[in-house]
Amino acid sequence: MPGNIRSVSFAWMVLVYLLFCSRRASVGAAPICANAQAGCHVLSLANLFDRVIQHSARTHSISNDLHSEFEQYFLPSKNHIGRVSRNCHTSSILTPNGKDNAQRMAREELTEVILKLLVAWRDPLWHFHQNMAHHHDFNNFSSNKALEMSDMVHELRKGVEKVAEKMQVLGIISNTVSSLASPEASLPSDSAEWRLMKDYNLLSCFRRDSNKVQNYLKILKCRIVPEHGC
Amino acid sequence: MFHSPPAKPGLTSCRSPEKETFTCWWKPGSDGGLPTTHALYYRKESSETVYECPDYHTAGENSCFFNKNDTSIWVNYNITVVATNALGRAFSDPVEIDVVYIVKPNPPEKVTVTVMEDKGWPFLRVSWEPPHKADTRSGWITLIYELRVKLEEEIDWEMHLAGQQKMFNIFSLRSGGKYLVEVRCKPDHGFWSEWSSTSYIKVPDYFHREKSTWILITVFSTFTFLILMWLLHMNRHNLKHCILPPVPGPKIKGFDKQLLKNGKSNQIFSALVVPDFPPATSSNYEDFQVEYLEVYVRREQELVLEESKDLHNSCLKSESSTSDCDSGRGSCDSHTLLMAKCREAKEGERQTDRECSPMRTEAQRRLKDWEEEALNYAHAGIVSLEMSSGRVKTWPSVFSPLPRYSSSPLDQQSSLQMAKQLSLSTSSYLTQPGHSTKEALGQSYWDLCLSSKQPHLLNPPTPVCRELQAHSDVNISSIGHKRAPAGPRSPALHTTEYVEVQRVDNKDTLLLQPVVQGCGRMGGCFQMPHGEVYSKVKGVDSDNVLLLQREGMGEDRCPCVEQETNEVTGSCHKSCTVSTTQKPSGCIYTAVPVRDEMATMANGYVDTATMCTLHTC
Repeated sequence: MPGNIRSVSFAWMVLVYLLFCSRRASVGAAPICANAQAGCHVLSLANLFDRVIQHSARTHSISNDLHSEFEQYFLPSKNHIGRVSRNCHTSSILTPNGKDNAQRMAREELTEVILKLLVAWRDPLWHFHQNMAHHHDFNNFSSNKALEMSDMVHELRKGVEKVAEKMQVLGIISNTVSSLASPEASLPSDSAEWRLMKDYNLLSCFRRDSNKVQNYLKILKCRIVPEHGC
Repeated sequence: MFHSPPAKPGLTSCRSPEKETFTCWWKPGSDGGLPTTHALYYRKESSETVYECPDYHTAGENSCFFNKNDTSIWVNYNITVVATNALGRAFSDPVEIDVVYIVKPNPPEKVTVTVMEDKGWPFLRVSWEPPHKADTRSGWITLIYELRVKLEEEIDWEMHLAGQQKMFNIFSLRSGGKYLVEVRCKPDHGFWSEWSSTSYIKVPDYFHREKSTWILITVFSTFTFLILMWLLHMNRHNLKHCILPPVPGPKIKGFDKQLLKNGKSNQIFSALVVPDFPPATSSNYEDFQVEYLEVYVRREQELVLEESKDLHNSCLKSESSTSDCDSGRGSCDSHTLLMAKCREAKEGERQTDRECSPMRTEAQRRLKDWEEEALNYAHAGIVSLEMSSGRVKTWPSVFSPLPRYSSSPLDQQSSLQMAKQLSLSTSSYLTQPGHSTKEALGQSYWDLCLSSKQPHLLNPPTPVCRELQAHSDVNISSIGHKRAPAGPRSPALHTTEYVEVQRVDNKDTLLLQPVVQGCGRMGGCFQMPHGEVYSKVKGVDSDNVLLLQREGMGEDRCPCVEQETNEVTGSCHKSCTVSTTQKPSGCIYTAVPVRDEMATMANGYVDTATMCTLHTC
């Protein structure tokens, strides 16, 4: 009888191990194969774009929710003209402010702008999350959202990088985008600015920037792969 | 008239239809009685330059329209409206807006609704286009759509969220209904547009398809209902009996309700009288009685008569015999016809016993006729009444001439005794030349004269003699009772031979069979029917003589059980064998005059006294 139990447990463990392995293999994002290497699960550009666009939409909605919470929590005065300084630390990044401008901008530029924005927001969001966790001013829900937001931006940046990579492979854009690999390089020297901003301003700025990212990605997608959902 | 500076205006709303332009509306305050002008000033986010509204007219009264060049997305606008009149100015509260968040598109355009069919069931297909101003193609705006449907007569709308698709199907329509469809859209972060203009659509009638189904169902159910009704109608009587069981009325035979109503009680009750009830016991009683006579022949007698006792006798005698003998089946009793094997005995006797022979010679001389038979028959007529279990059983028994020595007058109380005595007496009678008993035989019954001294049986009955009447048929009644087996038997072993009338053939032949006696007369006798035809009634003579013939099967069926009667047995055997020559002609007994009734053998009994007549084999 013990022999039976041992064999059964061993078989069971093997089965579980196999299951987990298969799951891990499936959960892990399928690597984007630059040269369609064997064994790679190749994603089309349209799929990549859809993914990053969805990701950016999710990011923006979270930031919107957090901003609304901030407004309710702090009971700001109406229209809060005086409060809004809007000195977003990303103001230095030139972004198109209209459709025409955005459409006139080259793909590579647009991609760069997107990446710049995403890179610029990685640290502030992280610190913002830390502030929220320490201060206990907000409920856990907000704190979790800030954390999620921070992670999402990180993932989004990676995704956009992959898209840029793919586009470069496909020859859609030139290879100038890859120069943005270093995140710290994009930040201005007066990086202490963002520390001075209040959290509310930070959220307002981020809300806008996430919207920009989403919009730019959509424009890029509809310009490069217009067949789906444009 | 009082003039005052204008009241503070207020910005009501700013909207952008496509995220490229936007319009702001304000509401002016009181003008203070003086003509007031309004101006809108705005400042962009990162500069302090104040601009005035570029267009006050495009959007209508009290509006300011910002065209594409003046519109910057993702830029905060600080807008203020100033009302000015001659007396002063009034500033409205500033409003900060970001165009991205004030987008309210126009309603979807070109909404088309068509009726389409899916496997015979119709559905609505609604399709539309985004508002032409909204640039969804470049991805600048992403719109999601919503539509609502309702029947014309309804109040509540049915909402459907279509997402980003520009087409939608509506199912579960009411046939022949008129539907209203409207569509609206919204950017991913913005305001819902107004509902598009209503589209009307009428769903065609597909009721006929449903109707045919309903017609089929109705017809089928009607048929089923009719059949059920018909079945109920056919079985209404049964149902009535089931539900309302009838009250039983009086069912007396001969009872007439009408008479009762008329009140003639005499007639009623007379009708109730059953003439045959209660049945007379006497007549039937005897029918069920089985009579048997036991004849014990004394060994000392010249005539060696075997006594064969059948099983039933022993049964009857013994106290122990109960149910078997007593049963109404008559297994013991009813069909037993005791026949004294006097013929064999006689034969044996004749052969071996000198007493026989004289008798036989006598018989031959005188009793060629039925006289001796009559004697025997008379003997046979005497029945001993066995009382066992309170029932009277009598067998007509044929018994051989009784030994002589029973001198005591027959006591009617002891049947067997009587029988024995009778047999004795008859035997004694037989030893003497007997008179003709023709006349006696002519009677239906035999009169036996018992006289110890005058054993002349066949004389006409004298007053001296005690008469014993014996019936030849089952009606023989005898009085007696069970007596001990060891009763007045002669010391010598006597066996009585009985013959059982088996049946009457269709040829009017009486089939008899000997009843094999059991061993010993002291109880323990058991009947061993052989099922053979012992004798056969050949016919009835013209003189009403029953002609019997014996048909043997070649078996030794002589119930000579007793060893003492070995010679008799042997003689019997011999006689049997002799007799059983399968020659009916050789074994003809003189017939016994029988009653006419007896010829019919109604009761199956035959007084086989006739059997013991001359054996002419």
